[in-house]
Amino acid sequence: MLGAEVTFDVALPKVVWGWLVSTNMWAKSIATGTFLLGLYFIKKYPEQDNFFRKWLPILGIIFIGITLLVTVLDLHHMFRFWKIFVFAHFTSAVTLGAWVVSAFVIVLLIAFWSWVTGNKKLLDRIMIPGFILAFFSTIYTAGIMGEATAREVWVFPAEMISMLLSAMIAGSAAYLVVDAIYGNVLKEEIRRELGYILFGSAGLAAAMFIGELFFAKIHSEFAYKTIEILAFGDVAPFFWGGMFLTFIIPMVLVGIANENKKYQYAFLGALSAIVGLWLIKHAWLIAPQYLPLS
Amino acid sequence: MRLGFLVDLSRCMGCMACAVSCKAENNVPLHSWRLRVKYIDQGEFPETKRHFVPLRCNHCDNAPCERICPVSALHYLPNGIVNVDHERCIGCASCMMACPYNAIYLDPITNSADKCTYCAHRIEVGMMPACVVACPTHANIFGDLDDPESEISKYLQEHRDVMVRKPELNTHPKHFYVRGSTVALDPLASERPEGYTLFTDVEFLDHIGGH
Repeated sequence: MLGAEVTFDVALPKVVWGWLVSTNMWAKSIATGTFLLGLYFIKKYPEQDNFFRKWLPILGIIFIGITLLVTVLDLHHMFRFWKIFVFAHFTSAVTLGAWVVSAFVIVLLIAFWSWVTGNKKLLDRIMIPGFILAFFSTIYTAGIMGEATAREVWVFPAEMISMLLSAMIAGSAAYLVVDAIYGNVLKEEIRRELGYILFGSAGLAAAMFIGELFFAKIHSEFAYKTIEILAFGDVAPFFWGGMFLTFIIPMVLVGIANENKKYQYAFLGALSAIVGLWLIKHAWLIAPQYLPLS
Repeated sequence: MRLGFLVDLSRCMGCMACAVSCKAENNVPLHSWRLRVKYIDQGEFPETKRHFVPLRCNHCDNAPCERICPVSALHYLPNGIVNVDHERCIGCASCMMACPYNAIYLDPITNSADKCTYCAHRIEVGMMPACVVACPTHANIFGDLDDPESEISKYLQEHRDVMVRKPELNTHPKHFYVRGSTVALDPLASERPEGYTLFTDVEFLDHIGGH
């Protein structure tokens, strides 16, 4: 007897979680990354904290708004989203995430009010809870992916680290872009530090991807097939495009910018990272959904 | 009471009576399935064999869909059935991402998650699931796994070749197969060539997965 072929199976959807979910993760990385890095720079450079006290809430509110919008749009019953709060099922990372992000939105609104009124103490008082909420807002999606048992490459601890690194990439890149658009208002020291954060987090995230793809011992045939789809299948253009734009190009350009003090290169590297981050997240999200489960 | 299902694959002849009766009983829309029968051909002429595998929700004891559902739309009934509350479902599709058996679909009419419930509404009034009644060869065996005298318990005791799908995931499915084979139960153990299947014009529909 030779091999076996499936000769009849009915159509089941391929990609269920599509670009709206990729956009959710991408926008959340920017919102939480700018918040976490903003707090760090406010603490470290109090003499130049006005930039961060202004842009931390503005970027946070815009991008967490995009996150919430696409999350609700992705629901097939979007007007029932409130049920997460009244019928909350706390074994679900989706529920935990909804509660945490809602609290994070309140923190961002307080931060915005603090900037509008010039009441710096208000933001200072909520820094610690804000840090905790931003941290958990970043990682809760990794919990959802970890609970999605059917998609075996979404492994919880790796996803969590990957999302934290994404937040660092997105946060530093967003501040570099805003700084460049507003005529390099930041001190050179801060700009260089943002460049180093982008360079370092992109390098670590790239190492994680390469490690997982080429050196990790893959135990499951499903995970092996997913990586094949990711690297050589339908998803490969997104994946390799994302790898170059998120990791390689920003590292090269930011490296040149910091070495030669040509900060226009850092701006281009930051833009590339922001665009690439969406592509890599999209590739990672849809590749496991191409596998037949029946 | 812990209800379970067992399929004797040596008895299944791929007539799809179970799939049709399920659709009729549960008003399952076109292009959606609570229960489907997969065909796998093995070998090369004249040494060939065709396997039929009825696939439905496994009603796992450790159900990933129940755990991930943010609003408890997927929930356990006291008899072990994993039931769906369509009114509560928000349509986030997390359950579809979590179910390793592709047993859950989004109903294009109600926009809610749906799946096999072992015909919970029939069980409630003492009837058998529609697919059990419709099967002409009694390949579908349904009953209480906690009752040693039930037909399913006796079957499980008598057969040494009891299989479940993807046991490595520790979902503890309550859907068993006897006289099966790996090529039938493992989705990656058989090829899926394009253009040479029984029904080649199968298309993925936007309204099910996308927006």
